[in-house]
Parts: sequence; structure tokens; C-alpha cells
Amino acid sequence: MSLLQSLKNSIRSRSIHVAYVNVGSCNGCDIELLACLSPRYDIEQYGIYVHNNPREADVLLITGAFSPQWEDKLKPLWDKIPNPKVAVAIGNCPISGCVFNRPETLVDPPVSKHIPIAAEIPGCPPRPTEIISTILSLAPLIFKDYEETNR
Amino acid sequence: MKKTVDVSLPIGPMHPLFKEPCRIKCETRGEFVLSAEVELGYVKKGIERIMRGRPWQEVMFLAERVCGICSVVHNYVFIEAVENVSGIAPTERAAYLRVIVNELDRMQSHLLANYSYCYTIEHETLAMYLLNLRETVMDQLELITGARVTCAFIIPGGVRCDLSADGAASLRTALDHIDSELSRFVRIFETGPLIGLRSKGVGLLTKEAAIEAHAAGPTARASGIPDDLRNIHPTYRLLDFKPVIRYEGDNYARIMVRFEEVFQSTGLIRTALALMKEGPIRGGGTIKAGTVRYRGEAPRGELLYDLTTDEHGRILEIAIQTPSIMNIQVCAHAMLKNAQSAADITAIFISSDPCIACTER
Repeated sequence: MSLLQSLKNSIRSRSIHVAYVNVGSCNGCDIELLACLSPRYDIEQYGIYVHNNPREADVLLITGAFSPQWEDKLKPLWDKIPNPKVAVAIGNCPISGCVFNRPETLVDPPVSKHIPIAAEIPGCPPRPTEIISTILSLAPLIFKDYEETNR
Repeated sequence: MKKTVDVSLPIGPMHPLFKEPCRIKCETRGEFVLSAEVELGYVKKGIERIMRGRPWQEVMFLAERVCGICSVVHNYVFIEAVENVSGIAPTERAAYLRVIVNELDRMQSHLLANYSYCYTIEHETLAMYLLNLRETVMDQLELITGARVTCAFIIPGGVRCDLSADGAASLRTALDHIDSELSRFVRIFETGPLIGLRSKGVGLLTKEAAIEAHAAGPTARASGIPDDLRNIHPTYRLLDFKPVIRYEGDNYARIMVRFEEVFQSTGLIRTALALMKEGPIRGGGTIKAGTVRYRGEAPRGELLYDLTTDEHGRILEIAIQTPSIMNIQVCAHAMLKNAQSAADITAIFISSDPCIACTER
């Protein structure tokens, strides 16, 4: 591993930019995401910054059970995120549809049909600590040696 | 349409300040906003379609997931509607426990709304203080119900679990902490000169416009409409409830109404704790056939459940009306019109506390 690559690895593990998108959730997971920002959980101490701008994001957090409006919007949004990138599904909805995946429903889960999902956090909703620990354990794993392995 | 404006300014559906996706389309001349329109439909799940024909035990959990921020009140109003059809009354202790949990939920919702507003006007310090205070409320909610967000605490005839003496003591300590901390934060909000510039006189909603557009909840009460359904609720009448009203009708008044309602909620919880006697928390009962329209006061305003049940306890027909749709429309057509600056658009929109998940279901 080159010196440059090891430098990049160590910097990237402490600089994770996050965007979140709600594709038809009930808000429960979104407010648990917001709670991560509070000084009690303080995600910025781990180097995670929430900008909610896909063009500068590394991690896309997805909540919700994929409503029909997002059919033509989620893929372009995913394409806007520069490489290396990773998508994390938060809550039961993007994984299985949770209580909304029933006959007569309008939603179309899982989200992994539309974009590649690297990790899933089950729960309705998951706790803020679970969200933070998932981002922290996943992101450095994906971004490690990115330039050398994808030359 | 004839082009009469300089710029058509779309905001959203993904925007750093919005918790949920929605699109505001504004027509502006320079910085001046001529008209605005809100485009919805990004989180439509069809909950009412799923609910139809299902037993109440399932619909109860679906009702809670209409909105994650005010999940307790959806549970509360749905269960009270079902009780109304079947002639079930909660036990006395359960009625007070319901009020305690509902007021804790209202507190966390109002603190979150005010956090969003302070974050929108770039007062991040106050925003973070409020978000941290909200965690204290969430702790108490978790201590009583066992879950932070979707707790399914209220069931027909009673509640799921009791509040112990230790729990009540910890709740009283938390309420004192919230009162002392929040009065400090309210003083920061009242006296901050920059907050005043961004809030006072911005997003004016007159009483006439609020009545015409059927504004609900804190948005209406900030414009001088004394409209609060807790006035007619039997348990709240025992607690000597009086609605909070302000008359300015601007962003500042809406935020202050929410702050004052948090103080009011701590008072209501204290009264409920004092009045509460030992006793059973579950009364039991059977769901019968019938039709009812039942209203309750959500953190954002009037919430209506219109449902028909059959003798097996299935929900045959259900319609939900949430307060946010009126507030979003009154925001687009009355508050955003004639906003002096494009920077105020998001602040005005957030100050009406829109909940898109409630609105679209």
C-alpha cells in the first residue's frame, strides 16, 4: 500500500459525509436520525457530517418503503453521489416494507431492487446508537484502499 | 400562463432543512415572493387502503405509523374512537396515564418543531440545546412505555403498562429539569436580536385568513383563534386546561406558542401525577359494530378519525384527517405570499410545523 493510500484511508475513516433521503417513511426513522445530531449522541465527534447534499456525500441513508413517486428519482440521486459511495437502509421499511407491505398498498419495497444497498439496520425505528455504530463500522470498510483496488 | 415574474424558484424535494420530501414552487420578483405552491405526494403509502377490512389489533399499529413524530396521539385518537363505538371507558388511572404519555409526546414534538425552526434561521446553538432537551423527554417516554417512538401504549379499556413510584419520581425530576432549562432557552429566544429580525413580523397570518383556510393547532392559536380540542376532552377538563393563545400571527408567535405549550404540558403532567390514584390499568371490553367520527388534539392541531367497525372488530371503512394539510395550504397561500426575502421561505414553511408523512399517509 502506498503512503498516499494509507493517508487517504486514515483521513477517510474520520471524514464521512452523510445525506439522507426519505422515500416514503412514517417519519419515525427520520427523527431518530435527527436525534443522532443532538449533543448526547454527537455524531460529529466521529467525523460524520450531515449535509444532505448528494453531490458531496459518501453515505446515503435511506428511510421508507419506496413510494411510487421515487421510481424515477432515486436512481438519478444515487448517480449524483461521487465514488466511493455506500447506501444504508434504515429501519424495516426499506428492507421489507414493514407494516406497509400488504395487499392494496402503494409502496414497492425493498429498496435494494432500485439501488445497491450495502447495509441494513432493522428496527421500527432503530435506536440512534445503532445508526451511528453502523455508519462507523461500515464506511471505513468500504472506503479502505479504494484507489488501489479500483485502479 | 403569462410570464409575469423574474424567477420561478423551486425548493426541494430534497433540501437540507426539510426532514421530509416536499416541493415548494415560488414565483419571485427579485427577492420578493409573489406566490407559492406546495407540491406533495413523495411519501404516499396508502395507509387507509391497507387498513380497510383488517382487525383493529392490526389497524392500531398502522394508525401509529401514520406519523412517527406524533405517533402517540394517532394511537390515542384511534383507540378512543374504537372505544366510543363499543361503549368502553378506560379505568381512571389509565385515563391519567394516557394524558401523561400524550403530553410527553406533545412536548417532544414541539421541541423538535422549534429545533427545526432555530436550525432553519441558522441559530444552531439554540437548536442543539433544544434537541438535547428533547432527549430528556424521550428518556421519560421510553421509561414509561418501553419504546422511543412507536410505543403502542394505549389499548381499548386502558393502557399497556403501569407507572411505578420510582418512575413517577424520575418523571417529576425530569419535568423540573425541563422547566428550568427551557425557561433559559425561551429567554435566549425572546431576547436574541437576530432571532427577532428573522422572526418578528415575518410570515404574517391574520385571523381572517386563518379562519378562512381552517388553520389548526399552534398555527391557528398564534393568530388568536382559541381553538383547542383538549377543552372538550373529559380527562383534560379534570386537569383545568386552558389553551395558549397569542395574537401576533408571525413566526415568533408560532414558536412562542409551542414553547408555552411545553410549559403547559409539564404542568398538566404534574397535575395528572397528583390526581392519579392506585387502581387497575386495564378495564377490558369487546369491540362492537358502529360508525363514529372522533376528534382529538394532535401536536399540530385537530386530528379526525372517521371509522366503521363490524361485530368481529374489523375496520370496514376508515378516513383520517390530519391537521398538517390545512397548515401547509395556509402557509403556501397566506404566509408565503408577500414574503420579503427568499431566505424567509424555508423559515416560514418550517414555522408552521408541516408534517408531510401525516398529510400524505
